[in-house]
Amino acid sequence: MRVLVVYCHPVPESFCAALRDTCLAALAAGGHEARLLDLYAEGFNPAMNARERRTYNDGPPADPVLLAHGEHLHWAEGLLFVYPTWWYGLPAMLKGWLERVWAVDIAFGLAPDGGRIKPKLQNIRRLGVVTTCGATWLVSKLIGEPGRKTLLRGMRPLFSPRCRSFYLAHYDMDRSTPESRRAYLEKVRATMGRFGATSASPSPLVGEGG
Amino acid sequence: MQVLVLHAHPVEDSFNAGLHQLVVDRLTARGHAVDACDLYAEGFDPVLSRQERLDYHDVGVNRAHVEEHVARLKRAQALVLVFPVWNYGFPAILKGYFDRVFLPGVSFDLVDGTVQPSLRNIRRLCAVTSYGGTRFRTIIMGDPPRKLVSRWLRATVHPLAKLDYLALYDMNNTTDAGREAFKAKVAARLDRF
Repeated sequence: MRVLVVYCHPVPESFCAALRDTCLAALAAGGHEARLLDLYAEGFNPAMNARERRTYNDGPPADPVLLAHGEHLHWAEGLLFVYPTWWYGLPAMLKGWLERVWAVDIAFGLAPDGGRIKPKLQNIRRLGVVTTCGATWLVSKLIGEPGRKTLLRGMRPLFSPRCRSFYLAHYDMDRSTPESRRAYLEKVRATMGRFGATSASPSPLVGEGG
Repeated sequence: MQVLVLHAHPVEDSFNAGLHQLVVDRLTARGHAVDACDLYAEGFDPVLSRQERLDYHDVGVNRAHVEEHVARLKRAQALVLVFPVWNYGFPAILKGYFDRVFLPGVSFDLVDGTVQPSLRNIRRLCAVTSYGGTRFRTIIMGDPPRKLVSRWLRATVHPLAKLDYLALYDMNNTTDAGREAFKAKVAARLDRF
């Protein structure tokens, strides 16, 4: 499977970077073809500007950087996000990437009569999230896990109707131990190995409702 | 009251910018001291850098990267957010404000790995926002921005702080009358601020 790995962390020597490397290695071992998009390394600018916003509904963005990223999205059959959860959500860098790249005529089309939007990423059959949360599982649930909802529910209608997804999080990071981090890396590795698992058989890739 | 108004929309003549202007004018007319922080106009950089991440837990050092914004936040007695909802969340520039300014020693203290909120100077909270999605669709998606404001932000400020969450849904299908009615509602609420 062709997998676009979208990675977002400012510190190259972070635990998140280890997660990214684990994902890439496990995907390669599983025979998948991965492309890495490292938003910080690229110096991606996440703030949508006034011109882009004014012409947002008129067609795809003019910026060649955004169009190139759009091509990656259309190339992919699987999407994997690797990022730290900050304040229960996506880092601004990743949030802005969604706002600017997942634009009209890239991720969706607008119906001329103002009706429902048309999904344009039906090539995406697998969606995965690998993240770390400072908060505990309980607090994350109480706040409603905005980051998880944005990716697994908000973006989901743009993908193939049969798209399956998984969400892996290491909660309570500030109290993590070398053992808990190692166990999490192992869990991530095991899940990646089954990234392209078919939906016919029981699989750890659970569908997210809604 | 000293009110910090955070605004996050790039287009000067947008409906959202109009809401921001309305908020600032109304509060000023009522005698509040308004600090209008238009994140786009001020060229705020939402990207938390490598150095900021490395300094994150170093209380005292961490705030040096955003000193001025920390001072403005600490001076405020009320916080008003005026923003559009994009992709079921805060625009990146506003998310980046929280990423970079809501630091240990500023908005919370980390005690044994647990977050203890510390923005007690803020006794009044208000969000004014517009959604592209309908209310129903937004609820299905979990309405992340509403939960972030009413649960997380609300828990970060003074425990007795009052919150208003004023939202206009389904922006693209609203009428002039609908938008005017929303503005009137916002104005009325601010008059009782």
